[in-house]
Amino acid sequence: MSTVTAHVENFPEQPLQTVSRIRALWITIRRKPLGAASAALIATLVLTAIFADVLAPYDPLSAQPEIRLARPSQAHPFGTDDIGRDVLSRVIHGARISLWVGLLAVGIGTVAGMIIGLVCGYWEGRLDLMLQRLMDAIQAIPGLILALAIVSILQPSTTNAMLAIAVVIIPGNSRIVRGAVMSAKQNRYVEAAQAIGCRHPRIIATHILPNVTAPILIIASIWLGNAILIEASLSFLGLGTQPPDPSWGLMLSSTGRAYMEQAPWLAIFPGLAISLAVLGFNLFGDTLRDAWDPKLRNR
Amino acid sequence: MHKYVIRRLLLAVPVLLLSSLIVFGLMRVMPGDALIALMGEGGNVGAKELAKLRNDLGLDRPYHEQYAIWVWQMVTFSPGHSIFTNEPIGVSLKKAIPVTLELAALAMILGLVIAIPVGVVSATRQDTAPDYVGRIVAVSGLSFPDFWLATLVITFAAIWFHWIPPIGYASFWESPWQNLQQFLLPAAVLGFRLSAATMRMTRSTVLEVLREDYVRTAWAKGLAGRIVVYKHALKNALIPVVTIVGGQLGTLLAGTVIVETIFALPGMGRLTVEAILYRDYPVVQTNVMLVAATLVTINLVVDLTYAWLDPRIRYR
Repeated sequence: MSTVTAHVENFPEQPLQTVSRIRALWITIRRKPLGAASAALIATLVLTAIFADVLAPYDPLSAQPEIRLARPSQAHPFGTDDIGRDVLSRVIHGARISLWVGLLAVGIGTVAGMIIGLVCGYWEGRLDLMLQRLMDAIQAIPGLILALAIVSILQPSTTNAMLAIAVVIIPGNSRIVRGAVMSAKQNRYVEAAQAIGCRHPRIIATHILPNVTAPILIIASIWLGNAILIEASLSFLGLGTQPPDPSWGLMLSSTGRAYMEQAPWLAIFPGLAISLAVLGFNLFGDTLRDAWDPKLRNR
Repeated sequence: MHKYVIRRLLLAVPVLLLSSLIVFGLMRVMPGDALIALMGEGGNVGAKELAKLRNDLGLDRPYHEQYAIWVWQMVTFSPGHSIFTNEPIGVSLKKAIPVTLELAALAMILGLVIAIPVGVVSATRQDTAPDYVGRIVAVSGLSFPDFWLATLVITFAAIWFHWIPPIGYASFWESPWQNLQQFLLPAAVLGFRLSAATMRMTRSTVLEVLREDYVRTAWAKGLAGRIVVYKHALKNALIPVVTIVGGQLGTLLAGTVIVETIFALPGMGRLTVEAILYRDYPVVQTNVMLVAATLVTINLVVDLTYAWLDPRIRYR
């Protein structure tokens, strides 16, 4: 028995898997132009968010009423808003808010969904039945309405919008992880690990989890785009980021709509920024799927 | 089949009960209530009058009693009155549901008319110019926020064509032309967004099915390309597409809050959001439960459609 355990313990499946996944992703990015474009878009977004203070030519909050609603020019490439704030600087700082909300909301939603999915898929039984009905019940409530209700309880703010988005993400993620866990559980090596008396946490960590990371990461990358859209929608409705912080959705709803005919740049640039960010994450999700789903590899 | 439907309907009962508990709980922990909103509208109200109002509305009862009364009202299809407007909720729903249904139907038709043919063309001409265009349009549709598209569409229609959608909702039966003018742009915006996901799924599943043996046999028999693609491949590729379309229909019927707000359409989404903002408990609870029941029903219908599309599927 101890020999079998040693073999199971020494089987180097995880490092090999990790290396091959990164390699598969790298090959897909190099082969598919849309994959490279998505990676470039995401890298630009991340760098813009990190270096917003350096990249933004002006303070995103400082108003100069004497140049209000100025057209795009060399000094202000994206123009200025109704109180003379530089739109380019606000769009650059908006990247930080969108990315922050997206990463944290998806992070919380994914981890919570993963824990619920692992518990349900691995142990099944009554707990699974109860938790899945709870997930069904949450999913039966429209996502934006649920997020709106949660934000109304917690008071509108960027952090609370993020928490609300995380709650919306949990049921879908838990279901995907549950399915992947139930499928991974059928593998012989899991049965073998159970037969030799490995403890459940160890089986989950070493044999089940590596099999569910691919679907989790694919879904998480697609959810990142959706989270940015939901944050923008909540801010658009006045229940996300509050003024004067430069959220893309808020910029669209406040000045963008009000001055659309006089100053279309107020709506065009934040909208483009949202679209490019979401586009980047959607395409990257596709690239991950192409790289990690063997059925799609040669398509 | 009958047993399957009955079992699914029975399973829906605990889901709907849990949803009702979640909605009821969320509304009760929200800070402020409808009476405070009412006081804001109607000026100062004395403590005695407020207590009487609370008593009349049943808001001073223990939560479990309020919940039981509400569930009974839902079961007997008598959802009561709005706290804020005092209008019977049934009347509000009668006004909002046709707006949402019309918008959903038009958006869905537009979405499918674009998505299915483009998805099929994209799959049958994989890695050619039409495929790339179709895929870029599809991913753009998923990425453009609907409130941005809606704002741009309204503004550029005004700037270029000096035309704005008529303000003030008119039903199709009262004024068909005005009604169509009101619904054209929002349905186009929603339809474009919906078509994106459907197009991607159609392309992906048609590609998969085109590699199946029976499709190769159809080609080998010398059948015309159109018959092979539309009769043999498409029908079998439709199951995942139907799942996506079912989900989209559910979202549309829940009310598209933002598009309804931008185009001033008094549908379900706007009614629910306004009720949340005014803490109008009965309206929010009723609307959300109606939507939840609709979603559960749509999911069941989608599952039953699978057997029609693929006769090998049997329900037990």
